[in-house]
Formats: sequence, structure tokens, C-alpha cells
Amino acid sequence: MVGAPARQTSRPEGVFVLLLLQSIFWMVAGLSALPFALAGEIHMAGLGLVSLLLAALVCLVGIGVLWRKRWARRTAIVFEVLTVIGSGLSLLVPIGANRGPVALLVDLALPGAVIWLLRGKTARSDFV
Amino acid sequence: MGMYSISPEHAIGLVGGLVALAIALLALPRHPRWRAVPGTVRAAAVLMAVSGGVHFALIPHHLATEPLTSVLFFFNGVAFVTLALSFTWRHWRLASAGLLIATVLGYLFYIGVGLEGPDQVGLATKLVEVTALGLALVPVRGEVGRTHRSWRWTGLGVALPVLIVMTGATAWIVDLARPDAHHRHAGALLQSSNPIATPAQVEAANRLYAETKSAILPYQDWHHAWAAGYRPGGSTTLPSTHWMNQRYVDAGYVMDPNRPQGLVYANTHHGPVLLGAMFQMKGLDHFGPDPGGPMTLWHQHENICVTPFGFEFSLMTPFSVCPIGAIDISASPMLHVWIVDNPTGGPFAVDIDPKVVSAVDRS
Repeated sequence: MVGAPARQTSRPEGVFVLLLLQSIFWMVAGLSALPFALAGEIHMAGLGLVSLLLAALVCLVGIGVLWRKRWARRTAIVFEVLTVIGSGLSLLVPIGANRGPVALLVDLALPGAVIWLLRGKTARSDFV
Repeated sequence: MGMYSISPEHAIGLVGGLVALAIALLALPRHPRWRAVPGTVRAAAVLMAVSGGVHFALIPHHLATEPLTSVLFFFNGVAFVTLALSFTWRHWRLASAGLLIATVLGYLFYIGVGLEGPDQVGLATKLVEVTALGLALVPVRGEVGRTHRSWRWTGLGVALPVLIVMTGATAWIVDLARPDAHHRHAGALLQSSNPIATPAQVEAANRLYAETKSAILPYQDWHHAWAAGYRPGGSTTLPSTHWMNQRYVDAGYVMDPNRPQGLVYANTHHGPVLLGAMFQMKGLDHFGPDPGGPMTLWHQHENICVTPFGFEFSLMTPFSVCPIGAIDISASPMLHVWIVDNPTGGPFAVDIDPKVVSAVDRS
């Protein structure tokens, strides 16, 4: 049988997986900006590097959540709330942003799931 | 269809996935051992049921044209549903990881060799499967028995980044290298038209070209363009730059040769050299008139990541993410009129040949 936890929540592990995925998405976005920087778009170099830095930070926050660190839980919630607000705005404003299922999964469902998994007193009590 | 679109024949897959999600959320908690396994396992089981639903839903459409693919979808669907139901099985993690990895790699093979095109349904399903893989592998505190934690951490740490990067890279390369009939470079969406221009359309295209060229020739001296209100709309360190006239953009003139919304200049060592004009529609939703039929097709750049810092852009990743500080937009439809010889695409091509720009710079 698949190992069963003894009255342990696995929400932090689930959040870690989601944050790891998000971190990889940011990493890919950061790397994708660099060829444009090489082609002469100098600001894209900065944005690419900031995206890579953000990817590393999200991964670290994920590890912090895995270790049940209270700072990591707070940081993850704040970060994901900002992500949902930003993504929601870009989807609502008529600028032609993509509204396909991938965008909805990555920009809304994933951060929404992280917030849902970390919310509430029960989840908070698992973090030290 | 491109990777940012939903292929009409795959749309039913989304319905199948959503129906499977609802059924899984209702049925799986009734399993007698549901509460005995970690939440990560339960979530992975639900996600695998979703993937199974997508695969089942895609069978009917492929049955007539691609029977082998339909058979593979069937067995894939059966395997996913079986594993979603048997999450208490001793070898569940290993079997799930094997199936999920094989399914993602199978999809990449299919789109890599051109048996399928990457689209939103395929990519969304792969995201669901990679997430399920991560949840199936991640070790959880308090697990009992032989948990193989180090193997699972290694598998998680390797498989997730590798599969995501491979999926993104394959979809991106295929989408850019093999665009469909309605797309050109960088995913630009082309207006639909009749395949071969009629004599009347050829005449209309020639007239548009002549009128536009005549109207913008004074702007060969960029000072005149500046005086008329045109300003560089991006970096001038690139080979060429679009100069935009915001007044004409706001006014919404439609293909007026005397008031094109943009001019394109090559950035040469001896200053800006006029390459052509650009007409742009005011709204996002409608292409402009194409008097030359297939000769004067408008195009639209979709899903580009634009940064307000210097109006630079990159392409949105297949995972719908832009670099931080850039936002995903679609540009209004546009039509270029190149007044320099553009041997690869002609006077109304989406792009100017880079060799032409280099030659202008060398002249």
C-alpha cells in the first residue's frame, strides 16, 4: 500500500510541487528573454535576469514551505495573491492577452491552489 | 492551429477533462481507503482521472483518420483511470510515474514528428500530467513502510524540470518552425483570403503600393517624419525600428496611404533609412480591407510579451508566462508596404528580408 501519513498533512508537499512548477515556468520565461537581449533589446536582459532571480526565490520559498517555515507560508501567500491580481487584471483588460486553458491553469489555478492549500488556521498551525 | 489556440477537433478533450474532474471528485472520495493515503496521492489520482477523461474524449475524432492514435488514446485512458482508482496499490507510484512520463514523451514524439500540432488542449493536459507526476513522487512527512524517499526526491528533482523544459522547447520549436497556413514568423496570424489573386486584385495591390510609396517618399529624410509626428517605437539599436504616429493610430485611419500609422526605418551607420510603411487597425478584433486579396494580407502578432521599458518585446512561452515586467498582449492587425526591394516576400510581406536591411546598412 502507498505509505499513509500518521495524522500529518501533506499540503506543504503539494504546495512545494506547485511552487517548483511555477519556478520552472519563470525560469523558462527568463531564459526566453535572453535571445532578444542578444539581438539588441537591452532591457530584456534585465527582465530575463530578474525573472531567473524570481524563479530561484520561488523555489526557495517552496523549500521553506516544505520545511514548514512560517515566513515561507506568508511569502508564498503574498506572492500568489499578487500573481492572481496581476493575471486577473491582464485577462480582464482588453489587451489581447491569451485566455486559453494553459494561461488559466498557470496564472490562476496554480496560484489559487497554493493560496487554498496554505490558508486557514489549521494550515498555519503546521508551520513554525 | 498554433500552440496558443484550441484546435477545434481537440476542444472536446477539455469537456472530457472537466467531466472526468467532476466524476473523480465525486467518486474517488467514496473509496474506502481514500483518507488513508496522503493528500498529494489523492490529488495525483484526481489529476490522472482528468488526463484519462481527456484521452477518452479524443478517441471519436481520431478514430476515422488516425485509428492507431485512437487505440493509444484508449489504452492511455484505461491506464490513467485504473491507476486513479488503485492508489493504494503497493507499486502505484512507480506505475504512475512510468505512465505519466511515457505519456508526456509520447506527446512530444507525436508533435515532434508532425503527427499532431501543439495546441492548448495538448499543453494543458501535459501540465496536468506533470503536476500529477510531481504529486505522485513527492515524499510526505510521516509515511510508513518502505518509502524510497531518496529515489523519489531524485525523480522529482530531475523529471519535473526536464519534462517541462522539453515540452516547452518542443512545442515552441514546432510552432515556429512549422507554422500552419494562417501563421507566419513569430506566430503572426495571417488574414484569410482567396488563394490566387485575381487580375483586379493585382491591379488594386499595385495601386496601393504606388500610392503608398509616393506618399511616404518625403519621409526618406527622417526629419520630415519627425516633424509629421512619427517617433521611434522601440530600440534603435536593432536592425530596424517602427516609427509610430500616435495621432494617426488614435484617429483610426484605415489603410490611408497618406497617413500610415507607422514607418519602418533601417538603423544604419549613416542614420535611419526608410524601408516602408505600416498600416495598423485601431481595434484588436478585425483585419483591415485587403484589396489585393492574397497579395495584401494583414497580419496580427499574438501573445507577445511587451515591456514598457523602451517598447521591447519577446515571445510568450508555451506556458503562458512572460518575463517579469513584461505583459502578454496582442497587437492590432497590421499591413506593411515595403518600398525597398524585398525578394523573399514581396512588397506586402509580414517581414523585410534581414539581408536587405544588412545591404542597406552596408550601402
